[in-house]
This record gives sequence, structure tokens and C-alpha cells, in this order.
Amino acid sequence: MLPYNMRLALLSFKRTPGLTALMVGALGIGIAACVVTMTLYHAMSGDPIWWKSGRLYAVTMDSWDPNKPFDPARPQLPPPQLTYRDALHLADSGIPLRHVIMHLDRSVLTGGPGQKRPEPVRTRITSADFFAMFDVPFLYGGGWRPAADAAAEPVVVLSKQENETLFGGANSVGRMIRVNDVEFRVVGVLDDWFPHPKFYDLTGDSFAAPEDTFIPFGWTEARGKPPSGGDHDCWRLESTNTFKDYLDADCIWIQMWVELPDARARERMQTFIDTYWAEQRKAGRFERPRNNQLINETQWLVDQQVVGTDDRILVGLAFAFLAVCLINTVGLLLAKFLNGAALTGVRRALGASRRQIFLQHMVETGMLAGAGALLGLILAALGLWGLRTLYAVEAEFGANGYQDLARFDRASIVIAMTLAIIAAFAAGLYPAWRVGRVPPAVYLKSQ
Amino acid sequence: MSLNIRPILSSLLRNRTGALLVSLQIALALAILVNATYIVKQRVDSINRPTGIDDANMFAIDSTGFTSRYDHVSSVRDDLNYLRSLNGVIAAAPTNAIPLSGSGSSGPLYKSPDRKNSDAQFALMYEMDEQGLQTLGTHLIAGRNFRKDEILTPMTTDNQSRPIPQVIVTESLARLFAGNASAVGKVIYDPFGRPSTIIGVIPDMAGPFMNVPYRHLLFVVPQQPLIFGFHYLVRTQPGRRDEIMRIAAEHLATSNPDRVIKSVRSVALYKKEVFLTERITAICLVIVTVLLLAIAALGIFGLATFNVSTRTKQIGTRRAVGARKRDIIQHFLVENGLITSAGVVVGCALALAVGYGLSRQYQLPRLDLYYLVGGVLALWLIGQLAAWQPARRASTVSPSVATRTA
Repeated sequence: MLPYNMRLALLSFKRTPGLTALMVGALGIGIAACVVTMTLYHAMSGDPIWWKSGRLYAVTMDSWDPNKPFDPARPQLPPPQLTYRDALHLADSGIPLRHVIMHLDRSVLTGGPGQKRPEPVRTRITSADFFAMFDVPFLYGGGWRPAADAAAEPVVVLSKQENETLFGGANSVGRMIRVNDVEFRVVGVLDDWFPHPKFYDLTGDSFAAPEDTFIPFGWTEARGKPPSGGDHDCWRLESTNTFKDYLDADCIWIQMWVELPDARARERMQTFIDTYWAEQRKAGRFERPRNNQLINETQWLVDQQVVGTDDRILVGLAFAFLAVCLINTVGLLLAKFLNGAALTGVRRALGASRRQIFLQHMVETGMLAGAGALLGLILAALGLWGLRTLYAVEAEFGANGYQDLARFDRASIVIAMTLAIIAAFAAGLYPAWRVGRVPPAVYLKSQ
Repeated sequence: MSLNIRPILSSLLRNRTGALLVSLQIALALAILVNATYIVKQRVDSINRPTGIDDANMFAIDSTGFTSRYDHVSSVRDDLNYLRSLNGVIAAAPTNAIPLSGSGSSGPLYKSPDRKNSDAQFALMYEMDEQGLQTLGTHLIAGRNFRKDEILTPMTTDNQSRPIPQVIVTESLARLFAGNASAVGKVIYDPFGRPSTIIGVIPDMAGPFMNVPYRHLLFVVPQQPLIFGFHYLVRTQPGRRDEIMRIAAEHLATSNPDRVIKSVRSVALYKKEVFLTERITAICLVIVTVLLLAIAALGIFGLATFNVSTRTKQIGTRRAVGARKRDIIQHFLVENGLITSAGVVVGCALALAVGYGLSRQYQLPRLDLYYLVGGVLALWLIGQLAAWQPARRASTVSPSVATRTA
């Protein structure tokens, strides 16, 4: 029955080519708009470490101004970063399976073989567990032992890209380079790693590339001067006459994550933080109400507003647009089916059941929707290409994930197919049902 | 001339599904059109808001010393001498922040040395030298510029507590401290209680941040910026920016082995980047809105064409009993007008509801009613235009059609 219905549909398309093109075009454009915005939205709202996000927690304490919250629009949220001294203390708890304290800095690399000019890079100064905790893949070598953090050992892990630049992609483990004019030994080279969003540090651009170099946390102090780059927020100004004053200040600039395997570990960690908070409060700090939160990674992405307002508005707009296209198609289909009611009348008179008439017209609508989805996919690919072109401005500011987001992927195809099925039913159900209700006699009479 | 709405209405009501669908489509289209246009307007406004600086003819250089031999003061002196000597350069200055770059520093200022929290006024800070104002492309509206001998050396841990005697402020900031009186000569205080005298006032201008509520409140202090976050800002004669940018980048990259030039970029590029989301949203909204109107128009056109073709016989009959071509055209246009009007009424309610929802959910300003009026007129016009051609075709139906069977 299906091939026959499809043949009937093709005949029907041939009778009204203009109308058919109009309907396919409307469905195609509507589907394309949804595929483009949904592809972006899906990519932005993705969880880059979903396989272990249930165990990863951002550590936060409300160390902010007694008079006003960090984010007045959302006073329930503690600030996203910790002060240096609080982070150092919390990192010593021994409770989590893994923990990491870290921040962003900039460095200049020299001394690579064949390197003509100094290379300015972004550096993550982090404690040792970073790589194991976030499942960072290595091409060569590995990270460093925790002891290297305390001792500020001159060891460095390079990104794959940076290893290409400095060593032409060769295994550089054991080779020496100069970081800010200090001799460092390469201990590891990362493989391709580009989490979207950059969940472990959302203080800057949410879709920026990971850093080019990674060095032990001890270097925060060993460098002897404030980091350049990264987000450094203070709620009050303190006299900072020495670098030590700077480290002890109430400013927040350290990100901290812990891996807690179960609820018990989570409780213990929470108690540890709250106990520390209470001690410090007695000493005159933490004047705000207690608000120390272990924020799960998935909640973290929501709290830090990775997906922007405009992205949501565009998704809403695309669906409203698709709705208009669908209503348009319903109207046209209805007119078309009823216009062909004379033919339907003949079929009914020859013994076709209402069900068969309904199916015939649903098949016709399904084919229209299928063609619309195909057209939609082509238009969506074009649209995403256009977006990548627009985002090219961003790319001039260093490796950037936005262009990666606007990429046609399996998700786009799944979205388009789902929409096509929805469209076929939404547009076809009523007209197909309606045309089956036409009494055959009316049409047979006038012939 | 009577419009004969009664018979048109009754024929519409007998065949209401099609008309209902077109009305619904128009209602949705109106809601989207009005809100999308309003959002686009806000985005375009923020992109086109005058910056008050010569952003088209400026570029920024990021220079960082990284060896122990690096001498900041002499390096800055050499670089500035070089940049200022270039043919086509109007002015060059060191700065702690690049305009429109999204990176810089801010802090509170106070009216009195006791620094009450209640009168803290946050503002953005530029550290620049005597060529700073000229480099930005702004001018004094009161008072005077910094003198060369007033420029302080970079702040270090040793000289942190020294006062900064002079400061130049923007008009809005001046008004906050001095009201309508002249702000020149007025003393303001930093968070440590150190006094600075306002020596000059400049017009409001765009600073490093565009997304803070105090983005137009700026003050300039006569001080060389620190090694970290240090930039040069260069202003060129119109049309010569890119050429000079290339020459300067090449020279500075090798002129001093103890520092590295991280980036040389036009301020226009920073501006483009800072407004990227706004631009992309605006472009997407415009494309979708145009397509939406096109689809709505085509839908009305298609349905009207169809109606005409199914009603050939009735039209012929009407012509045969004396209706003029004009009457037929009028019939279809009035019919379309009725359908559009119904859609527009529902659409207005929908547009207001969506506008209200958006303003609640995303803190957008409330919908301006002018946009609603404009949208209603636009859809009315589109409806009539889309129905025009089918109506014309209907009027050409010959009266003899009525006499034929089938």
C-alpha cells in the first residue's frame, strides 16, 4: 500500500508544483532555523565531562563583602573563586579522592629548538591532580607528583599545539625550555583536549581553549609577583606592600575542585569547610551568613550562565518561526486536499475506507516533511557556515571554541529528523482527517 | 460606496478553517516581528552608541618584559620615542587598559577622606601620560591636561602609598562630585584616603568595559602603568592605521630582546569582538524576521490563489449578474483585510505577552508601543499586497464561466 500511496503523492505534487514548492520551502526554512539554533544550544549546554560529572565539585566559600553579595542579582550564590590562603588550607583536608587548586597566568617561552622569537603563552598554575581529575589525555609523558607542587619544581606540561610550535610535534619529554627566563623540563605533552565549555575555569571566556602550558602550583609563590591574566576580584582594598600581603589579601582568584566518590566524602568535606569557616569567623573574617557550597559540575555550568540570554531567545524565536511555517503548511495542505476532494470522492465510492484516505494523505504530508527536512539540513549547513564566519572575529583572539560549536554534527541531523516527524504530524493530521470526512456523493453528483 | 462586509463575513464563516489558520499565522508573525525588531533595535543601538573616542584610527600594542635584564622605564621611553617619531602617528601613550577590550581596572572614589561606604562611586581608571587624551581622540571641556613633569613612574610596592596629585575625569563623573558647579579644583579621595585634585574634565566616552553600569564614569591618572597589563595606544591619521600597525609591529618585535610583543590589534577589532554577541543576535533576528514575513506573505498569496481558483464559478456568476471587476477585487481585498485584522488583534495581545515575558525573564526593557503600531501596519500592508495579485486574477474571470457546467 505504501508504494501506491507514494505514487499518488507524487502525482499530486505534479498537479500543483508551485504550491508543493511553497510548502517544502516553508518547512525547510523553519526546520533550518531550528536546527541552527538547537545545534548551537546543544553544543553550548553540553557537559564536557559527563562520565564523571557526578563526582566533581567546585569548592566555594562566601568570603565577600559583609554589606553586599558577590552577585547582587543572585545573592544566594557564593563567589566562584577562593582567596589564596583559604584555597591552600582547604587543599590540605586529605578528604577528597583528588583535589586541585589553580589559576591562570601568562608566561613567555624561549629556548625551544629553532625558536626565533619569544613565545607568549597562557599558563595554568595548578596542583598535580589536574590531569587525572579531569581525565586530560596525554600524548607523551604525564603530569607531576604532588611533591613537585610544594617544591615548585621547574617542570612543565605542554599542550599538543604548543609542542608542535616548539618541538615540531616530536616527543619532547625530558627536553628543556625557558619559561619566563627560567629553565624548565618538559614532563608531558597533552593530546587534543578542548572541553566545551571550559568548565574548570569559567571566569574568562566560557569557550576559550585550555591553556598552552601547565606548571606546578608552587610557582604561584615562587614567581614572586602577581599573576597577569585571570580574574582577580576584591571587595575591599588592602595595603599590599609586599607580595606576601598580596597572597594574604581577601581577594579571590583561585579556583578549587574536588573529586568526591560518595555522599560520605561529600559530607566530610562540607564539615571540614564549615569548621574552617567557623574558626576564621571567630578570628574576624567571613562576616556574611554561612554559605559554603560544594557545587556539582552540572549545576556549576548552570550557575555560571554558560548559555547566554541571547542564545535562549534565538532558540525560542526559531521555534515560533517553525510554528508559523507549520500553520502556513496546514492551511495550504487543507486547501489543496479539499480541492482534490472530487478525486477522493471517487476513491471512496470505489470502496476506499476513511482510514485508507487518511493514510494516503498522511503519506503525502510525510513526503513533504521529508523533503522539507532535507532542504532544512542543507540550509542549516549554510546557516552554520555563516555563523562560523561571523565568529571568525573571535578566533583572532586566540584559539576559540565558538567556531567549533557552530558545526554541523550528528545532533543536527537528529534534530532535523525529529522536527520533520513532528512537522509531518502537526501539519498533516487535521487536513488528512478532514478530507476523509468528505461525503463522496456530493462530488460524484456534479460530474 | 458600501463595503458589503456582511456577505463577505458570512462566506468567511462558512469556510472558517482556512481563514482561522491565516489569522493565527498573522498573529504569531506580528508577535515575532514586533519583539524581534525591538530587540534588534536595542542591539544596534548599543553597537552604534558613540564611543567618544577615535576608535577607528587607533591600535594597541601589548608589550611584556620577561627577563631579569628588562628595564621597564627605559624600554617604555624608547618605544614611545619610536612610535611618536613615525610619520602618520598623531599621538601615542602608554596605558593600563585598551578601550573596548573588556579588560581593565576599576575602583571606588570618595567625596571626603573618611570614605563612607554610602558615597563610594565606582569608576574606571586609565593610567596614561600627557599624550593620553590626544591619543584617545578626546578633548578637554574644562581645566587643563597633565604636564610632562607630572607623570609618575609605575607604582611599585615601595611607592604604593604616594598620592596621585592630579586626575582628569569624565563629565558624568565630574557632575557626581561637583553637581552643576565646575569640578576643576575639587578634591576626591581614593580607597586609602589619598587626595587627588580634579584638574580637567573631558566628555563622556567608552572605557575598557561596556557591560558595567558605570561604563561612562572614567578617570585618568598621570602615571605609567605597571609592567603587567602594559599596553601602548597609538592614534594615526585616518586611513593609515593598518600600514603603521605593520611597521610598528615589525620594529618592536626585534628592538628589545628582553620583552615580547604579544599582540598588535586595532581598537576597531576589539570593538567588533566586544559586540560580537549583539551583532550575531541582531543578524540572526533580522534574517529570521525577513524570512518569516516572506513565508507569511507567500502563505497568504497561496491560499488566496487557491480560493480564487476554487471559486471561479461563483465569481463568474457574480460577474454575470452585474458585479464589476472592481467589486470582485474589492471582495477579495476586504476578505483579506478581515482575516488580517482578526490576526492582528490576537497578535497584539500575543506580542505584549511575549514582550512582558521577555522583560521579566531576561531583564530586557519593556516593549515600546510604537513598534506594535508599526508591526500592525506592516502586516496589514503585506496582507493586502499578497492578496492583490490573486484578486486581480479573480476579476479577470469571464462572466461566461457561470453558464458552463462543471
